[in-house]
Amino acid sequence: MKKSLRVGAMVATAALATMTLASCGFGGGTSGDAGDAGGSVTTLNLLVPSYSDSTKGLWEDVIAGFEAANSDIKVKLEVQSWENLDSVITTKVSGGQAPDIFNGGPFAGFAADDLLYTTEEVVSPATLADFQDTFIENAAVDGTPYGLPLIASARALFVNNDLLEQAGATIPATWDELLESAKKVSALGNGIAGYGMPLGSEEAQAEAAVWLWGGGGTFGDETTITVDTPENLVGAQFIQKMVTEGATQADAGSTDRTPLMDIFVQGKIGMQVGLPPTVGQIAAGNPDLNYTIAPIPTQDGSALTVGVADHLMAFKNDGTKQEAITKFFDYYFSADVYVPWVQTEGFLPTTKSGAEQLNGEESLKPFLDALPAAEFYPSTNAKWSATEAAFKALFGQLAQGKDAAGVLAEIQAQSDAG
Amino acid sequence: MSKTTKQKTSIPAGAATGRPRSGTGGKDLLDALPWIAPVLALIVGVVFFPAGVMFYNSTRDISQSGIDKGPVGFDNYLEVFNFAYFWPIFGRTIIWVIAVVVLTVLLSLALAQLLNKAFPGRQLVRLAVIVPWAASVVMTTMVIYYGLEPYFGIINKFLVDIGLIDTPEGFGWTRNADTAFAWSIVIAVFVSLPFTTYTILAGLQGVPGDAIEAAKMDGASPSRTYFSIVLPQLRGAISVAVLINIINVFNSLPILKVMTGSIPGYDADTIMTMIFKYIQNQHKIDVASALSVVAFVIVIVIVAIYVKVVKPMKEV
Repeated sequence: MKKSLRVGAMVATAALATMTLASCGFGGGTSGDAGDAGGSVTTLNLLVPSYSDSTKGLWEDVIAGFEAANSDIKVKLEVQSWENLDSVITTKVSGGQAPDIFNGGPFAGFAADDLLYTTEEVVSPATLADFQDTFIENAAVDGTPYGLPLIASARALFVNNDLLEQAGATIPATWDELLESAKKVSALGNGIAGYGMPLGSEEAQAEAAVWLWGGGGTFGDETTITVDTPENLVGAQFIQKMVTEGATQADAGSTDRTPLMDIFVQGKIGMQVGLPPTVGQIAAGNPDLNYTIAPIPTQDGSALTVGVADHLMAFKNDGTKQEAITKFFDYYFSADVYVPWVQTEGFLPTTKSGAEQLNGEESLKPFLDALPAAEFYPSTNAKWSATEAAFKALFGQLAQGKDAAGVLAEIQAQSDAG
Repeated sequence: MSKTTKQKTSIPAGAATGRPRSGTGGKDLLDALPWIAPVLALIVGVVFFPAGVMFYNSTRDISQSGIDKGPVGFDNYLEVFNFAYFWPIFGRTIIWVIAVVVLTVLLSLALAQLLNKAFPGRQLVRLAVIVPWAASVVMTTMVIYYGLEPYFGIINKFLVDIGLIDTPEGFGWTRNADTAFAWSIVIAVFVSLPFTTYTILAGLQGVPGDAIEAAKMDGASPSRTYFSIVLPQLRGAISVAVLINIINVFNSLPILKVMTGSIPGYDADTIMTMIFKYIQNQHKIDVASALSVVAFVIVIVIVAIYVKVVKPMKEV
């Protein structure tokens, strides 16, 4: 009897140890309740991700200016890293602690759960009219915009001029030229790779878009996700050709974008697709790098860039702060406040007034030029989050020799399952 | 042990028998309640309540943004078991636990033996063994992860310089499922060593000197002495160390998360990293809860089997 008691005690101890570990994941913060500041002061909770080291300071400046102009509104800022942002917002929403204003990527899930104000409800008509039309369209679910496009980015091909010259290669416009140039650069040896292809989990969906869309495919629209199509297969097979013919760095399937870009900055990669902030990254890390920003090569040489817009969105919560939120958005998107913000972060503006002000900016020009041909992820499709996750988890298998059609089918299946 | 239980009736009244006597039990419990209430509240609050919530969540349909959409019975469990990679992941979890625990215990036995000998600087060596314990697991893992990076990792650079790798940028250890998993095992052993070594060291110090002396007088060889005298005495220490390690290693996320995080597909996942992928990538809190419950049951079963077979609390 005593023996079984001890066995029971051991099992209980084991259970306790397991549960203590399991319970680590549990517990959203309960502090930070807003709205009890007394009098007529409204507190807005603002949850934003950190784009760079200066993000926090930029928001603090915006808030200081806003609070000076509106003494009856306080703004509480919370900055999170991109990796944590998703779990933080999910925890807050499920705990009934949603922020009033949130800066994030996909929002269709929140809109489907009826948690968000529509864009029209929280900005003045003048501010709404100032957004670029394509971006507002991209922020709509069933024709109703829910997000305010905060920043835009486009992609372009960064080319290391010195390496291409050494290898006797030219800047490519089509896939075949890219393959040829990249192979020549790879042949230089000494660990130098022709084309940097990051298919690792960090942002596999972006490199996937560069190739699959460049071959004439799409990821679908706001009602249907289409990954497993013959058009997309063309791009997937060409990725495999690049890898098997040695035009890319080793282990393309599990290389993340950020560390690979560091290696490009160090001058060991011939060509890689980059973003506007890459310009600043090169200026800081290796200003001597001799590089060109060129359009992304596609199968037939037609223009393409993968556009990404991050959005601000307003949660309804108890529905009492609509007016304060509107004031904040109108203040933030005024050109004098907004343009320095976007410029410091190194992204592209989403407002017409902002684009006019930044027109003369030399380093942004290749990206601003590419913007009209921008295609976007179907991020307003409620299944997009699942699709994006499937790309991150599975797309890199292409570079590990798995059948291209099989990989696309697997991504489609995981996306359909939601 | 069973003998002592049978003798229970002969124990004089008043001696502690391990459980309250019948009759006055209810009143005793009532008297004790104010004293143990804080502990009970704590256990309920941090153990049973979260466990309950986890189980509850596993039977709900929770949307991507975390809104509860109602009950779905055991659909989430079906999704867990119907996932094509579930059984390979399950198998890899078992391999992970066994490999790490066995290697840890073998190395710890040797290390503890060394530390039990008196030699100059023993204090310093003992201190050095504690270091991996004092350092954060994520930090230790990150250091090795960056060391293994191609192009700039110091371990890769070393292997290239001594000529073991012939590609100048090094080998992508953390880019391939098998090598990343093997390195994860190495790191897990490294961070488990201090606790295990010290548990065994404590056990070694409990081995009576006269027993060893007697063996020596009888002409037993050192290895005979170790396997017939010392090792049996370590049974208690080893079995506790193994038990705690099984639970810890099974539930270990950070090492594998860092080392295999960028690898596509599910060829390097264990149950813990899969739970994490459900939450982080797919936002399926409901399915993640179901898999957590499954993981919990697996640990309990493993521990129950272990306790039944090894009887770690049995005195020698």
